[in-house]
Formats: sequence, structure tokens, C-alpha cells
Amino acid sequence: MNGFKLIQTIKELFGFIPQNAESTQKKSIKELLRKLKFRRILLKQELKNETDLLKRESIRDSIKILKKQIKKGKDLVDD
Amino acid sequence: MKRWLLFGAILLLSYTFFQSKNLLLIAAGVAIFLFGMKNLEEGFRFFIGGMLDRFLKKMSDTLYKNILFGTIITTLMQSSGLVAVIAISFISAGLIGLAQGIGIILGANIGTTTGIWLIAGLGLKINIATYALPMLVFGMLFIFQESKRLKGIGYALAGLGFSFLGIAYMKDGFDAFKETIDLTQYAADGYTGIVLFALIGAGMTVVMQSSHASLVLILTALSASQITYENAVALTIGANIGTTVTAVLGALGAGDDGKKLATAHFLINTLTGLLLVGFVPQSIRLIDLSAPLFGISTYDETLKLALYHTYFNFTCVLLFAPLVQGLVRLLDHFFKQKATDENARDDVLFINDVALDFPDTAYETLFKETKHLYNNVCDIIAQGISVTKEDISSGMAIDDILTHRKDPLYVNMDAYYERRIKEIYGKIITFAIMAQGKFSDISERQFIPIKNATIGMVEAFKASKHMQKNMLRYLESDNEYIQSEYNHIRKNLIKYLRTLQMIFNTAEDDVIVLLLSKLKLDAQNYDIAANKSLDNLIRTNKITYTMATSLMNDTNYAYTVASELFKVAHALFVHANTESSESKEALILNENEVNDLTHASSQRSSS
Repeated sequence: MNGFKLIQTIKELFGFIPQNAESTQKKSIKELLRKLKFRRILLKQELKNETDLLKRESIRDSIKILKKQIKKGKDLVDD
Repeated sequence: MKRWLLFGAILLLSYTFFQSKNLLLIAAGVAIFLFGMKNLEEGFRFFIGGMLDRFLKKMSDTLYKNILFGTIITTLMQSSGLVAVIAISFISAGLIGLAQGIGIILGANIGTTTGIWLIAGLGLKINIATYALPMLVFGMLFIFQESKRLKGIGYALAGLGFSFLGIAYMKDGFDAFKETIDLTQYAADGYTGIVLFALIGAGMTVVMQSSHASLVLILTALSASQITYENAVALTIGANIGTTVTAVLGALGAGDDGKKLATAHFLINTLTGLLLVGFVPQSIRLIDLSAPLFGISTYDETLKLALYHTYFNFTCVLLFAPLVQGLVRLLDHFFKQKATDENARDDVLFINDVALDFPDTAYETLFKETKHLYNNVCDIIAQGISVTKEDISSGMAIDDILTHRKDPLYVNMDAYYERRIKEIYGKIITFAIMAQGKFSDISERQFIPIKNATIGMVEAFKASKHMQKNMLRYLESDNEYIQSEYNHIRKNLIKYLRTLQMIFNTAEDDVIVLLLSKLKLDAQNYDIAANKSLDNLIRTNKITYTMATSLMNDTNYAYTVASELFKVAHALFVHANTESSESKEALILNENEVNDLTHASSQRSSS
């Protein structure tokens, strides 16, 4: 641990640096958003290869949900 | 019996104190030292939550890292007993395996030598009480702070202060003692003496529950020339064996794995002790030869004893580190798991007293036990709709399952509840309440959601039990319409249980967020007001009014099953998981968003 980090840790320990909850949450949403986008790409590929009608329907539902969630996430991050 | 023993000990000690003021000083020193050690442990417990878990995850992949982990935390905490208890607790919660636990115990043996070097090198050479007093003052100052971390620092400082003070008292006691009586006249020579003093060392460590306290006592007695060097070596061997009793006692309330680790600790130290008892004269010669290499004077017996203690513990590690996997196999052989019968009474698998020691282990244990309960609840809900748990987890198409399971499955749900749910449910709730009380600061975020999840499971079970009666009746009905409606309920629930199963089996945050939203979408299938087929059936007299009311009630029960199980998954995988709970919560679709999705699809299908 270098000197700066040690001072930061001590400051945190004694409560001199309040953690910024909002920025942490946005960071966490961004990370989840990235995973959701990747999941949507995977499902789109899966849909192309799927022949079973019921399974296709289920994948389509999932893609629709993901689309809505990604939009919601983007709005939250942009706020 | 215990009370009589206590009473006898108090009487004996009172008589001894009355006879000798010096013995009172020594005993008070031991008591203050032990009190200090307890404070030190308490201080580190404030830091342990979360931090140790993360550290452990980084240090868990190789035996070498496990040993290093054990060495570091024992050096910091100065209590191999506490480290053994932590390892047992982590093993019981399934956070680490037995081999890793043994690695940590081996490391703890090395870590414990650091304290002895400090006491032998500094504690007995300088006026340690001078440092104790400011530590006590600053420690108390921190203890009164609100921040848990500062409190922890306070307890640790006060603990060190009390330990130093205890050492000073013991030293004064022995120094004054030698002016009146020479204890070396009771020294025993030869192997009889070695065995006798090893037994005394083990006995006093068992009583004091701290090898540190025993070793400090041995070191101070040796520095005051009240015991011979050879007897001190034998006492040290005994103390190393006696210290394993702390872990054995700690494992009494633990599961099989915890007991295995305590047995391993006992075996490692006892076998090394038994081996070295036979080589005490040779060991003393080795110490005499090697001490100058470390800059230790031939006449400095306390430092030489610290060196012997280090040799003992390194011998433990060198002997047993290559044998860890063999030891695991041996212990697995002796602690065989009992085979479980599906129809037998089921009990908790993970909950035990040891798991309540630390917040991480308490949470992990509770989480795993809740999953175990869910497994049983899912099993009976599946049987309630005349399918099996295996059907749910199979990849078979739902229509095929219904064709395969067209006959009703008669199962006594009350008996199942008594046998495989009630006991576990009760123990989870009790454990959660105990954890809530003990770790009040994190209870709201972690334990309460899990408690709510178990309550939700039982509510889901109750609703499925109410539904079962009509389900059995109408699956055998001659009326194909009502039969088809009940199959519709089964179909929806199978789909729902499958999605839930996927949530329980995944570790991916995005999958959890997606599937929870999907469950919300699927729950709309139970909307009785929107169920036009029911209206048609009633209007066209295809089902009787009795059938219609049954169907409406059971659709509601199915909805209750679904919504309660949704709450279960939501509580377990969103609320109880504090790391990313807020972001998950934010991205799960709410009722309005789900309605938007449904309307958009229905408009598309109608156009």
C-alpha cells in the first residue's frame, strides 16, 4: 500500500470520506447493462438457430424483456 | 458436576491466595492476560465481517496460499484457537473445503510462533507494563466511538494492553516467588519428567483455552528460573497439544466437516507432539547448535524456548503439508455421510451453532439452507399438480409431460410438510432471528430477506395444498373442458417452476434480472378477469357452476403459488445479495412495464 492509499484508508476508517452512493449505483447499473446487452446478442443468435416454435416464442419474449430493460437502464444512467 | 468443580476450584484458589501473595499475582497475571486475549479476539471480530471472506477467496486456490493465509491472520489476531474456530465456521458454511481448512490450521501453527518471539524477545526483556497503560487508555477511547471499525481497534488495543499488563504481573509474581521458594526442586528428569511435564502443559492449556497464556506462563517461569529448560520444552509440547481442544470444543456444534477439521488439528499437533516427546534431548542439542546462527545467546533460555516452539510448529507443517490429501481421505472415511432416503424425515443440512460465529458464515449457511428448503417445497408443489421434481428439471416439452402424467398423483401433502418442511422451516427462522440479533447492523439487508423468503415458500406450499383437492378430482373428470382448464394451470405452473429453477441454478446477475422480469410476465397468465375461455365455458354451459367456482378459486391459488415463489426468488437473489441488489432492483421490470409489453404483443397479434 502506498502512502496516498494509506491516508485514504485511514480517512475512510475515521469517516472523513463519505462514499458516493449514487456514483457507485450508476457504475453497478452500467456493468449490469453491459451484461444484458451481451445476453441479448446471444439470444438473437440462439433465435436464428432454433427451430422449435415454443422455444422460439420463449426466446422472443426474453429479447423483448431485455430490450425494455436495456432502455430502462440507459435512462437511469443518463439521468 | 461442573458446578462442584467450579466451587472446588474457587475454594482451592482462595486458600492458595490466602497462603501466598505471589501466587495471587501470577494467577491475576494469567487472568488479565486471558481477558486481554478475549478483547483482542473481540476486536478482530468487528473487522472480520466481509473482509475475511474476500481475503479468503483470493487465498484459497493452493495449499501454499492457505498456509500463508493461516499464518497472516494468526499473526494479526495472535490466537490460533480463534483461527481454528474461523476455519471450522467457514468449512461448515461451505465457503472452503476440508483441505483448505487443514492448510489454514497448518498456517495458524506457524502464525502462533510470532507472538512467542515477541514475548520472549521483548515482553520479558523490557518493562512491558509501561506500554500497556497508554494502550488501555486509547483503547477505551476508541471503544466508546460509534464506528464499528474504531470500536474494533479499541478492543484490539485494550486487548493488547491487558495482555501486556498480564505478562508484567506474571513476571513480578515469579520474580517475587523465587525469593521465597525454588520450584526447580520439583523438576523431574529423564523421560518420566518429559511425559509428566508434557501432560501438565496440555492440562493447563485445556483449562486456560489458550496456548499463548500457557506459553507466557512457561516463559515467565523459565525467565525467573522457576522451571528447568528441559521441563519448559516438555511443557511447550504439551501446550501445543492442549491448544487443539479449543478447536475440538468449537466443532462440537458444527457439522461433519467442522468435526473433521478439528480432528485434523488434534491429529497434526498430537502426532507431532508424540514424535517430539521421544526426541527432547536431541532437540535441545539441535537448539543449542542452531541458536547462535540466529544470534541467540547460549544462555538465553527464553529465546531458545521460542526457537524450539518455532521448530515444533514448522515440523508440524513439514510433516503434514505433503499429507493433506491423504488426511482428507482418511477423515472422509471415518466420518462417512449417511445415505438419505427420499421418504425419510428431512432435517437441516447446513445450519449449526458454529455458523453463527461470523456474519459471512451465518449468511452463507442461511442462504444454502433456504435453497435446501426450496428444493423440498418445489418437490411437493410439483407433486401437488401431479408431476414430479424430475419432470420440472427435465428438458421435456411441457405438453409431453402432461401427456405422460395424465393420471393424478395422490400424495399426502400434510404428511410431507411434517416430514420434510416443518423442521427445516422452524430451524431456518430460529437461526435467522438469532443472526438478526447478533449482527443487527447487516440483518436488514441480508437476514430479513432470507427469512421472508422462507415464509413465502411455506405460503406457496399452503396455496398448492388448497389447490390439490380439485386438481385430483378434475384430472380424472369426464368433462374434457374442466380437465383441459386444470391442465392449463399445471402447464403454467410447470413453466413457472422451470424458470425459478433456472434462477436458483445461475450465478449470472443478468440472467436473474431477465428471468425475474419473465416471471412477472408469466404471472399475468393467472389473471382470472382476462381469462376469456372461462367466460365462454360458463356461457356455453360446458362446465357446471361448481366447476366454475372451483376453477376460479384454484386459478387464484395458482396465482398465489406463483406470486409467493416470485417473492422468494426476489428476496433471495435481489434483496439478500447486497453487492448488486440496487442495480438489479432498478432493472427488473415493474408492473406497468410488464403491462406495456403484454399490450404491445396482444396488439401485434390482433392486427
